[in-house]
This record gives sequence, structure tokens and C-alpha cells, in this order.
Amino acid sequence: MRKLDEKREILYVIRTLDVLMSSGVGLEAALHSIGKGGYGIISKDFASIMDKLSSGKSRGLEFEIKAMMNKAESDGYRRLLNTMYTNLTQNTDLVETLRKQGKRMEEDRNETVKKYIEDLGGVPETLLSIGMIGPIILAIVGLVPQILGDGAEAIVGSIDQGMINSIVNGGLLFTILGMILIGLKAHTKDPGL
Amino acid sequence: MIFDFLEAFNDNMFVLFLFVIGIACAAGGIPPILERNRRRGIENQLPGLLESLSDAVGAGRGLQEAMLEQGRTTPGVLGKLLTETLESSHASSFDAALSAFASKTRSSQVQRVVVLIDTAIQQDAPLQNILSDLAMDYERLNDLMNKRESELAGRGILIVLFVCIGLPVLIAFIVGLFAPAKSGYQISEFNTTFSNFFAVASAVGALVSGRMMGRMRDMLWWVPFWMSTSMLLYLGAVKMIGG
Repeated sequence: MRKLDEKREILYVIRTLDVLMSSGVGLEAALHSIGKGGYGIISKDFASIMDKLSSGKSRGLEFEIKAMMNKAESDGYRRLLNTMYTNLTQNTDLVETLRKQGKRMEEDRNETVKKYIEDLGGVPETLLSIGMIGPIILAIVGLVPQILGDGAEAIVGSIDQGMINSIVNGGLLFTILGMILIGLKAHTKDPGL
Repeated sequence: MIFDFLEAFNDNMFVLFLFVIGIACAAGGIPPILERNRRRGIENQLPGLLESLSDAVGAGRGLQEAMLEQGRTTPGVLGKLLTETLESSHASSFDAALSAFASKTRSSQVQRVVVLIDTAIQQDAPLQNILSDLAMDYERLNDLMNKRESELAGRGILIVLFVCIGLPVLIAFIVGLFAPAKSGYQISEFNTTFSNFFAVASAVGALVSGRMMGRMRDMLWWVPFWMSTSMLLYLGAVKMIGG
């Protein structure tokens, strides 16, 4: 969940940092501005950094950003934190790097959406295949003792209706699980728009 | 006629209960659809407004003046809201008017843009470039969102149609044809099991369809409706075909 939130917000955070820092705002003030809210999980992270700094218990902004890098789950967020850390320790050109990162991240986002649409192309058919084949077979299994009548006993011996019911119930449960697993693809691969 | 229809399912209390809940929830599911349409309408107009503002600011106009003018010329909800808010801002500050406008739109895109414009004004940043960059950013974002919606909406509807309508009717056809109750087949327990299965399968199908389009929470309102629809279709079709 955290990863999805980070992916959803990161591009906006980069753009905001770009605007703020291009107009002369310092990194700490920019982090404070984003920490005030509006950028989901990243706002919370930045707010916690600012809280630690203002409480006087922190060793410095660079250490807090480094600690946050261990918490970050998405590549983009980790890269942004790394860029900020490098800026603080080596005085690199942050605005230029942010612009490049934003551009690259936007390209990545376009690719991810395209891939998401392609990947989900077969989901209706797969859901239908599993949702249809399972119940059709199980419906036949459930009805066989009644359809064949005494003939069924002649072929497969005595049939316990309780056992048949258990097989049908178990099979239907597996069908539902299969459908959930296929549907999970729509959630796990979400591009986070 | 409605009572006769409901009487036919008297031995399946769960279906009747779910049907009533489904109808009530479906009514609750309409406002989120209307709200989403309104919000997407505003968000799709946002890049155009930002571009016009950028041009006006570049031509030497003040931001407030440019916003008021654009609000009057922009059609739809966005222009109306902007004009209303700015005209009522005579009693307050421009910042407060911008914040009020952002909260009235109930759109996170507009709220982010307003926060950024507000910060840019406070920092005396070059507004023309910022507005132009924001316009391009949000245009690309909205294009992507619209593409996702248009490409996946068809597939989402297909899932709901297949799983919630097609599947129960198909199985009911098989059961009704090969094991009709009128010929003495004992299928009441079998029907209960399968109708429950179709209810769960429909819930899964509807939720997957909602997730694909990025609106699973809105879809939750429709889940009981689709569950009861698939159960009623199955039980009704079995009764119709098999007696």
C-alpha cells in the first residue's frame, strides 16, 4: 500500500520541489511546505522529519533523509531522497537533477500505464474461462448421481451424495480463489495515477 | 406482479434480503458517479485554464484579474466556480478566495495547483513559466487518465456482463435443461450452493472491474446489486427452464 501511495505522489512532489527551489526556497523550507499536507504518505514522511529536526533530537537533515531512504519502498522516492542527500552532503545542483528525474519519471509512468492496459487485456477472458469451466464441470459432477440414477452405481460403484457435495463445494471455493488471484493483478500492477 | 416475482424466491431468504440491500446500495452508488463526472470535468478543463492564465500573466495582467476574466470565459463548472469565488472574495483576501475555490472543486489536482500558485506568489517566483509548466504537466496526466479509463472501461463492463449475467444464465440453462425440477430431480440444495457461488463470483467480478478503472470504492456500492442480480438470474432461469 505504501509503495502505491509513494508512486502516486512522487511526481507531484518532484514538480513542487522544482517550483519551490527554482523560486529561491531552501530545501528545508520546501520540505516543510510539502510536509504541511496534500501529498499523502510523502507529506507524512516529511512532516515527521521536520518534527524530529524541530525537537532538537535529530543529528541533522542529511541523517534524517538517509534514514528515510530505508523506509522508502518505491524506486522513484528512494532516488529523490538520494538526490536530496547528495545535495546536502556534496552541494550538487538539485534543481537540475529534479527536472531530469521528473522527466524520467513521467516517461516511466507513461510506460507503466501502457503496460497496465496491455496486461489487463486478457483479464475478462481469463476470469470468464475460470469462472465458467469450474462451475460447468462441478455442475455436471453434482448432478451426475441424479442424471445417471442406478446406472451411476453400475459404473463407479456406490456414490455418497455427501462426498459429491463436498467435492462441488471445494471446487467452487477453488474457482473463487482462482478468480481472486487473477483479479489481484489489477491491484498489484496499478500504475498509481 | 412485483410481489408475485418475489414470492417465487420465498425459499431463498438470502436472495430477497440481498435484493433489497442491493437496490438501496445502488441508489447510494449514483452520487459517487455524478461526483466523479463533475470532478473529471473540472480536471479536464484545468490545463486549458492554466495555459490561458499563463498567457494573460505573460501579457502583464495581474493573476487575480486574469483569473476573473478566464473564469467568465471558461465554460462549465470550473469557470462558474472560479467566477463565483473570486467575486465573493471582495470581503476577504485573494489567498482565502483561492483556497475556497480549491476546496469547492473537491479535486486534488486543483488543490495542488492552488497550493503551488499560492507558494509561487509568496516566493515571488516567475508565474508565467510555472503556470505554463503546470498546464503541460496536468494535460499529460489527464490524457493518461482518460486513456486508462477509455481503454479499460469496455473490459470492466465485459467482466461484469460475463460474470454477473452470462455465467449464471449459462449454468442455469445447463441445469434446467438436463436436471429439471419438474422431472423430479432434487436440486434445491444444489441451487442454493450455486446461487451463493454466483453471488461471490459477481462480487469478485465487480470489484476487479472497479479496480481496473481505479474506482473500487465507488464500485463497492454496486456489489450487493450485482450479487443479488446474478443470484436472481440463476434461480429465475432454473425455475423458468426446469420448472
